[in-house]
Amino acid sequence: MGKPVLEIGGLHKSFGALQATRDVNLAVNEGEIHALIGPNGAGKTTLIAQIYGSLKPDAGQILLQGEDITARSVEERVHLGLGRSFQISNVLMDFTVLENAIIAEQARQQAAFRFWKPAFQDRELIRGAGKILTRVGLEDRRDRLVSDLAHGERRLLELALALAADPVVVLLDEPMAGAGPEETQNMTQIIKQLKGEVSILLIEHDMDAVFQLADRLTVLVEGTTIANGTPAEISANAAVREAYLGSES
Amino acid sequence: MQLIKGWFTAAPLLWLIVLLFALFPIYTTLADLPFWNDVAMRIMLLGMAAMGLNLVLGYGGMVSFGHAAFIGIGAYVTGIANFYGLDNGWLQIALALGICAVTGMIIGFLSLRTSGIYFIMITLAFAQMLYFFFVSLEQFGGDDGMVMNRSDFVFIDLWAPLSLYYMIVAALALTALLLCVLVHSRFGVTLRALKSNQSRVEAMGLNALRFRITAYMISAMICGLAGALFANWQEYVSPDIMHWTRSGELMIVIVLGGLATLAGPLLGAVVFFLLEEFLPEILAHILPAYAENWLLVFGLFLIAVVLFGRGGLIGVSQKLRARLGKGAG
Repeated sequence: MGKPVLEIGGLHKSFGALQATRDVNLAVNEGEIHALIGPNGAGKTTLIAQIYGSLKPDAGQILLQGEDITARSVEERVHLGLGRSFQISNVLMDFTVLENAIIAEQARQQAAFRFWKPAFQDRELIRGAGKILTRVGLEDRRDRLVSDLAHGERRLLELALALAADPVVVLLDEPMAGAGPEETQNMTQIIKQLKGEVSILLIEHDMDAVFQLADRLTVLVEGTTIANGTPAEISANAAVREAYLGSES
Repeated sequence: MQLIKGWFTAAPLLWLIVLLFALFPIYTTLADLPFWNDVAMRIMLLGMAAMGLNLVLGYGGMVSFGHAAFIGIGAYVTGIANFYGLDNGWLQIALALGICAVTGMIIGFLSLRTSGIYFIMITLAFAQMLYFFFVSLEQFGGDDGMVMNRSDFVFIDLWAPLSLYYMIVAALALTALLLCVLVHSRFGVTLRALKSNQSRVEAMGLNALRFRITAYMISAMICGLAGALFANWQEYVSPDIMHWTRSGELMIVIVLGGLATLAGPLLGAVVFFLLEEFLPEILAHILPAYAENWLLVFGLFLIAVVLFGRGGLIGVSQKLRARLGKGAG
């Protein structure tokens, strides 16, 4: 695998006496799917918020393609190539699937601040939006209202919007959350197809999906990274078994 | 061509009402009811201000409770300019729009960092500050306000019959066109998306504040234009024009007509004024005991529209049409 595109070094974040993030080190390499796993309360959400920029770390550094983004705003990080999906489907409910994609497409072009032509009839935007939807196989649902979509389809749209701006690194926050077995299988296939196109930091509870998809894993326990390696290395790691997978053996 | 057609077909009801206002003087002239021209002008100006507020309140989801302040600024800029002999109406309107844009930007910049109840209270607080500022201006009449002459619009003699009327119709049509264009533009679509889900739009790399402040400024300018014309219509400017109850009136008109619809605010303004005018009379005939307390019946009507038609009158009519359509088919 290639050089690291997202590097996190010595990250710390405390809320009062609670150390939610303690000396976290993590690197996502170009083109890989890197899974971040850990039991509930391990601090995954806090870590994601710091990478995304909605939360400022107390100490440490976050590099995106070698550039220090620790002090950058969410907006700047997105422009530098960071995308994300949310744990709870975060799509535009009052719009159709195509309209969601059109709004994402005009943001990708950085051409949303225009006051003249109607956006939803703009051929160029519709073409770009079509591409965004094809990536996740939602093009035949384009005229459906999002509020009428099935849960799994909303998860796919969420993924499509996260990928819309052609990010360098995309954070997928529990893409399988709340999905049935079939939907999980479908989502796993679609994420697998993304391998090589975009570097992915995947946070997921579904271990089957994680071990099918991940090139490497990082294990977070009580706010700190206790191990990282290939799936085989992680499942053989005694400390990880103890802290996390232990309950099964 | 397609583009221009789209603006008009986007809101047929809106353009129908504008057209009716344009034709209304034919009726008042034939029936010799010039007083009703005055009522129509008042409705148009309130409807126009409500359309401006609707961009922020309906499409943007920002509950501003202080938009009467911009009507007041528009009116006072006109009145004060006249006071100092600057009586060119076009210049006054340009000045009113400019000052409303700047004030809107400042108020927007400071208040749009908050949301929900805090936003409502901050916008109300700014409006009250401006209200008492104008109350304190003794040289411009303070509490009592100031009488002013109609402005000089160079090629248009505002004293000629109906010339002010048609100037207001033109301003209303221009506002309607502006909103039809804006709401469907990339800007308008992004503004609506922000109302639907701010965190998703920000994750796309867009700056919410930039879009919201721009919308706030545009709506402030529309209210300012309504205020400038209001001053000319009333030939009198006083702090009353920007009392907080007027901000409430604008919100009621929007909710009554239909939030985030193009025709809603203007329809709401028409219905609001007709009810205010005729409800006491109607009640005197059918329920004389309530004639004096017509506001009670009016309030019940408002509650009914809001509860049963969540989209205001526009929503109710759409529901009815859908039901009738189903019944027929």
